[in-house]
Formats: sequence, structure tokens, C-alpha cells
Amino acid sequence: MNTSSNSYRSTRSGGLGLSSPWIITLLIFWLFPLGYSLILSFTDYHLLARDVSWLGLENYRTLLADPAFLQALKNTLIFTIGTIPITQIIALSLALLVNRSFRGRSFFRSAFFVPSVTSMVVVALVFTNLYGRGGYILALAQLVGLNPPANGFLLDSSTALYSIMAMDIWMASGYYMLLALAGLKSIPDELYEAADIHGAGPWRRFFSITLPLLRPMILFSLVINGIKSLQVFVEIFVMTKGKYGTATGVYDVYTRGLERFEFGEASAAAYMLFVIIAFFSAAQFWLMRKRKAAL
Amino acid sequence: MARQSKPHSKHSGASPMRYLTLIVLTVIMIGPLIWMLRVALSPIGSELSFAALFNADISLGAFKSLFSADGIQRPAINSLIVGVIVTLGNVPFCFMSGYALARKSFLGSKVLFGLTLLILMVPAHILIVPLFLLVTKLGMFDSYWALITPFLVTPIGVFMVKQYVETIPDSLEEAARLDGAGEWRTLFSIVAPVCKPILAVLAIQTFLVNWNSFLFPFILTNSADLRTLPVALALMQGHQAIDWQHLMAGSTIAVIPALLVFLIFQKRIVSGITAGAIKQ
Repeated sequence: MNTSSNSYRSTRSGGLGLSSPWIITLLIFWLFPLGYSLILSFTDYHLLARDVSWLGLENYRTLLADPAFLQALKNTLIFTIGTIPITQIIALSLALLVNRSFRGRSFFRSAFFVPSVTSMVVVALVFTNLYGRGGYILALAQLVGLNPPANGFLLDSSTALYSIMAMDIWMASGYYMLLALAGLKSIPDELYEAADIHGAGPWRRFFSITLPLLRPMILFSLVINGIKSLQVFVEIFVMTKGKYGTATGVYDVYTRGLERFEFGEASAAAYMLFVIIAFFSAAQFWLMRKRKAAL
Repeated sequence: MARQSKPHSKHSGASPMRYLTLIVLTVIMIGPLIWMLRVALSPIGSELSFAALFNADISLGAFKSLFSADGIQRPAINSLIVGVIVTLGNVPFCFMSGYALARKSFLGSKVLFGLTLLILMVPAHILIVPLFLLVTKLGMFDSYWALITPFLVTPIGVFMVKQYVETIPDSLEEAARLDGAGEWRTLFSIVAPVCKPILAVLAIQTFLVNWNSFLFPFILTNSADLRTLPVALALMQGHQAIDWQHLMAGSTIAVIPALLVFLIFQKRIVSGITAGAIKQ
């Protein structure tokens, strides 16, 4: 047909021009920095370097023998493994609480989501206050006889990291609640009706219908949560500046790169962290493909 | 509809136990922000404790002093400028690029989409060092250019638009072309209106992300005049002289616009998160 050749021509024209803003941004602000940083990671480039020499894998070896870097990796893993299950369980519980319609449901949904639209800097500042002397979290902990550190939770190595983790759980739960709600919505009502007819109780319904059918969404949430948790930085910067055993991987990259200006070493640290995150990203990519195939 | 006719309808109300649980949870989730507001509204230098704050006077002192001499108008204006310009860039640019990736096959279009997906997976931390060096070498360090230019088009935006355009039939565009409409006219008067929902989601998300953003505005600028609100607040905290009333008042000012955007566009934000469900 005449139109088919016409439309063929029209789909070819202008594509490059239309996508040029993205192509330029991609090249200059994404691909170039990524490549540049990878090359830097094999050099001893730093702020005052007059000439730069090639070190091969030396930076990577140095880092793997550096207690500070290993501690930062360990903290990142503690953070990730410690927060994700709790965040996801709370998120799912919240979602189940506000899934069925009842008076005031949208108010509660919004209330739970509000922390997620708040700036991380603000959340970190408010919790710095709450965890410190005069803040109600410290006061509550004293009230129930927990015997918290006298100067507050953030100025003590035994509690600082866990306190920041608790704050992150508080902040993220509402976001994953929304994802869980979307998953719940996709479960057909008929399944529950059928379960009702067969006399299945609420627990039975949860474990044989809700949980299995929610699995793809839960997996997806786990992966996103993992990627975000492995990149924790802002709250550490605001609340403790990496002191009291709270330095995470990205915080380590920041101090090496932009406080000590060891660009080569910082790049190597960033790439090592990247490998860990890439594992989660690959999982995300795989899930996305699977979800798309399912549609 | 079907639910309405169910015999044991569970949606008219919830049990008192459920309401009690929900109210306790709401207090936990909203409590910190109420505390922030209460501290911000207490007289400067007053004691911080539950009892003291309960009895303290309401005072606008901290807000007034923040808006005087070396206050936070400048950071607030910076945040607004950056948020608005970055949003105004993302909407047309992501639209154009996303549309091209969905509808056109051009030299390297497959590669471009592959790279876009790849970049979506790249964690931002890896850009800390090279973006700082690049922006410095381009002479943009510590300028509005540094705060805006790298973020005018985002991979997530391009991806969102591309996915959306693929779900709409191309018959309208074909008809417009047969009528002799040019490429740009087709794009902006035929396709854009159909894409309004996704462009609205994109605009809202872009504004919120940039309004709240800390990492890159922090590492790409140096002078106090260029600080955005989150950067100014985070650095204020380092000062010994600063008191909690000022910090919480500043925090309140940072929260209010984001909260308003959320309350007004709640439905769109929620649909954006659940439909896209990728990453911020």
C-alpha cells in the first residue's frame, strides 16, 4: 500500500534529532564520567598530582586491605540486610490494613506515605533531634526503662547505626506499602470469595492466596529496597558524619574523593560498591523483563 | 460494584481495634513531623522536652529570624529555580526522546535504548567523583549550570515516556501525517495531549526529587549563595551556634511545598509509583 511506504519513511526521519537532548546528556554526563572514573580507578590521580601514574589494580588491593573501607562495606551490608526484611514486613502489614475500603482509608494511606515525600535531609535533622537529649524517642526509651546512652542514640557506637536504620525503616515503609497495595489490587476478588465458600480463615487466605500472588511485587520491592539501601549516604552525612561506626560504602567514597581528594582511590571504591549493587540491578532488570513478558 | 452487593460487606467501617491500630500507626508516622513543627514554633532557645514543649508559647521567632538577614530565602529561591527549570527541561526533552525511542527506528536507536536501560541501573554514587571533576573542568563548578545542566534529561523520564507511548495506538499520528501535518506539529499538537498523564507524573516526580535532592547540589557547589534548601539545612546543622528552633523552622519550610505537591497531586504520584515502579 501507498501509506505503508509513507509511514515507513516517516518513522525513520527525525529520530536522531528528537532524541538528541538525551543522546548529548547520556554521552557527556553519564557515559563519559563512568568511563573516566573507571580509568581513574587504575591511577593514583589526586588533587595535587602533577603527573598521574598507572597503578593497575593497586587501588583495589589497597582498599581490600584498608580496615576503614572494609568496615564501611560491612556497615553497608548490616544496613541493607537489617532494614529490608523489617521494612517489607511493615509495608505489607500496612498495605493489608488499608487495602479494604473503610471510612478514613485514604487519610491513613496518605499519612503513612507522608514520610516518603519528605526530604531525607529534613528527616535526618528531625531524627537527630528526636534521638538526642530532649527528643521524645530518647525520653520514651528512658520511660520504658531501656537505659539508652545518656548523650542520645547517635553519639554512641553501640546504637548509632541501628538508630539510623530504624529511621530509614520508618521513612521507607509507606513507599513500599504503595507497591504492595498495587500488588494486592491485582489479586482477583473471586479468589477470596472462593476461599470464603470453602471456609478458609484469614490466615489460610493470607498464606495460600495473598502471599503467593504477591510474590512478584515483593521480589520487585526487595530489589529496589536493596539498591537504595546499598547507597545510603545523606542520613549518615547529616546525622553522624560517619562517626560512631556509621560510615557506609558511599560515605567512604565521598570522604576519599571529595574530602581527601584521592580521586583514583575513591573511584576504585565506587566501582567495587558498584559491583555489589550491580548484582541487585541485574536482578531488577531480570524482574522487569519477566513482568513485561507477563503483561 | 461487585463488592457493594456482597452480603458481609467489610467496607462501610472497620472494627474499633483496627481504628486503634491505625491511629497509633499514624501517630508514629506523623509524630516526627508534628514535633518538627512544634519545635519550630517554640520560642528560640526554649527547652526541648515533651512537657516543656507542651506548655511552651507559640512563637514565630525562628521563622522571622530565618527570613531576616542571612536567612534561607536565598536557598529557598535556589531550590525553586532549580526545581522548576529542571522540570521544564525534563518534560519536553524526555517527551521527545521517549517518543523517538518508541516510534522511530533510526541509526543506533536500539543501542540508545539499551544504554538507557543500562544507565537506569547505574547507582548515582559512582558519579560523585567523575561528575565533580567534569563539572569543574567544564568551568561549571559552583554555578547554576552545575545544578541544572546534568539533570535536564533523565533516563527514568525517557524510559517512562517510551513505555507510555508504546501503549497508545499510532493511528492518530498516521492520520495527522496523511493530512500533511509536519513532524513537530504532529508531536506537540497530536501526541503530547495524549501523553498528558505520563508527562504530569514526570513533572511532579522531577520537581519533588529535585526539591528534596541533596547529594549533587552539595558536591557540585561551594558558595553559600548557591546552596539549595536541603544543602543549606544540612550545613546549618554543623554550626555550633545554631539552635533547634531555627533548624526545625527551616525544615518546615522545606517540607511544606513537597507536602502541598503531594496533597494536590496525590493520585498522580501514587499512579506514577505503582505503574512505573522503577526507581527514583
